[in-house]
Amino acid sequence: MAVTASEGPFSRALPWLVPLALIILWQVSSSLGWLPPNILPAPTAVLEAAWTKLQDGSLIDNLGVSFARAMSGLIIGGAIGFSLGLLNGLSKTGEMLLDPTLQMIRNIPHLALIPLVIIWFGIGESARLFLVALGVFFPIYLNTLHGVRNVDPQLIEMGRIYGMNNRTLFLKVILPGALPSIFVGLRFALGVMWLTLIVAETIAANSGIGHMAMAAREFMQTDIVVLSIVIYAILGKLADSATRALERKFLAWNPAYAKV
Amino acid sequence: MSSQPTGGSRVSLKDVKKAFGSNVVLQGIDLEIPAGQFVSIVGKSGCGKSTLLRLMIGLDTVTSGVLDAPALKEQAARIVFQEPRLLPWASVKDNVAVGLGEGQSGQAADQQAAAILEEVGLKGREGLWPSQLSGGMRQRVALARALVSQPTLLALDEPLGALDALTRIDMQALLEGVWQDLGFTALMVTHDVGEAVALGDRVILIDHGQVVLDLAVDLPRPRKRGTPEFAALEGQILDKLFGDDPRAREAH
Repeated sequence: MAVTASEGPFSRALPWLVPLALIILWQVSSSLGWLPPNILPAPTAVLEAAWTKLQDGSLIDNLGVSFARAMSGLIIGGAIGFSLGLLNGLSKTGEMLLDPTLQMIRNIPHLALIPLVIIWFGIGESARLFLVALGVFFPIYLNTLHGVRNVDPQLIEMGRIYGMNNRTLFLKVILPGALPSIFVGLRFALGVMWLTLIVAETIAANSGIGHMAMAAREFMQTDIVVLSIVIYAILGKLADSATRALERKFLAWNPAYAKV
Repeated sequence: MSSQPTGGSRVSLKDVKKAFGSNVVLQGIDLEIPAGQFVSIVGKSGCGKSTLLRLMIGLDTVTSGVLDAPALKEQAARIVFQEPRLLPWASVKDNVAVGLGEGQSGQAADQQAAAILEEVGLKGREGLWPSQLSGGMRQRVALARALVSQPTLLALDEPLGALDALTRIDMQALLEGVWQDLGFTALMVTHDVGEAVALGDRVILIDHGQVVLDLAVDLPRPRKRGTPEFAALEGQILDKLFGDDPRAREAH
C-alpha cells in the first residue's frame, strides 16, 4: 500500500506523537491532582513500581514464567495447527475426515472451556498450556490450510512438468506459496496467545504477570496493576514486531512485504 | 561463454486421433516434422491446436494412431506457456535452475544456467525476483528455464500472447535468434497469423480437429512484414481460416 509520507526524522517520529502526548497529559493530570492515584497512578508511580519490582527480582521472575508459558503454548498449538493444516490442505481425504469437526469446534470460544479445563487439569500449569495451545491452534490451522489450498495450480503443473518429485514440489512450490497466509495465521495466533494467557493467569495462577496484577488488586496497588497492563502491551508489540521482521526476511520476494 | 547448439529432433504423427470421452478433438492427423524445423500452428479458439501441441510433447496421450517423437523418450521436450509460471519466491537464476531438474547443481549447472541467461539477454539480472521484471523479461526467464536442459524439442503455447505489441516484436526476434543459435525443433501455437508467417518454416492450420492447410514459408530471415510475398502468404492462411467472409477478415 503506497501511502504518501515524507522521508526524514519527522515521518519517523510521527507514530510516537500520539502515545507521547497521552502520557504527558496523564502525567500532568496526576500531578495536578485531577486523577486520584487509587483510580489511576501517575506514569512516574508506575515507573517507580517497575523499578521496585525489578530490584526484588519478582518482575523478571514473573515475566519469565509468563513468557515461557506463552511460547510453550504457541509451539504446541502452532505445531499441531500447522501439521493438520498441511495434512488437510494436501489430502482431500484428510480434509473430508477432519475439517468439518474442526470447523465445528472452532465456533466454541475457547475461553468458555475454562470451567471444564479446571475440572480436568486443576489449576496447574497444564490447564494454562492447554488453553493457550487451543487458542493458537485455530488461526494457524485455518490459515495454513487456506494457504496450501490457494497455491497457484499453474505453478504446481509447471513443477510436475519439470519433473519435481512430491518432496521438491512441497518444499519449492507449495510451502513458499502458502507462507504469506501462514504468517497471517501466526500474527492472529500471537494476539490470541496473550489474551488467553492473561485470562488464564488472572483466574488461576500463583506466578506470572497476570497473577502479579491480581495479587496487587487485593492490596489496591493500582501502580502494579497498571504496570502489568503496560507489560502486556509491550510484549504484544514485541511479538508483532518479531513477526514483521520474519515476514520481511522470508517474504522479501513479495512486493507487498518488501519494505514496510 | 555462450550456449552450444543442441540440435533438433523429429516428430511424426500417423493417423492420430484424440478424444476426451465422446468429444473428438483431433482426427486423422498425419504430420512429418523434420529435426530443427520451426512449425507454426494456427487456428481458431477451440480448434484443437493446443491439444495437438500437448500431444506432441507428451503432456497428453493419443487415443489412437501413432505418435513418434524421440525427444519424448529422451526427456528432451520442454514447453513454454502463455503465462511465464515463474516461482515468485525464487530469483531469476533459481527459476532457471528448476529447468535442470532434480539433483542438478554445482558448477556445471551454474555454467549452463549462466550461458542460457546470456543467450536470452538476461545477463546481470540473475539475482532479481520475478516481481522486479517486466512481462517480456519474465517470459525470457521462462524461455531460459525451458532451454537450460538443452531440449531438442520445444513447444511454445501462445508464448507471446500476453505481451504488448512492441514487446512482442522484440520477443519474436529473440525467439528466432535463439532457435537459430541452438537448432532445436520448435512447435509454436499462436493466434497471430502474422507471427506464424514471420517465424515458421511452415504454417499448419487446424480447423475442427483436422489439418486443413500445411504451408511452407520460403522467405529469407529475418522476415519483413510489409513485403508482397509475406502478405500473400498471410492472405492465403486468412482465406482458409475465414472462407469468403470479408468482414471477418477485416476484423482480423
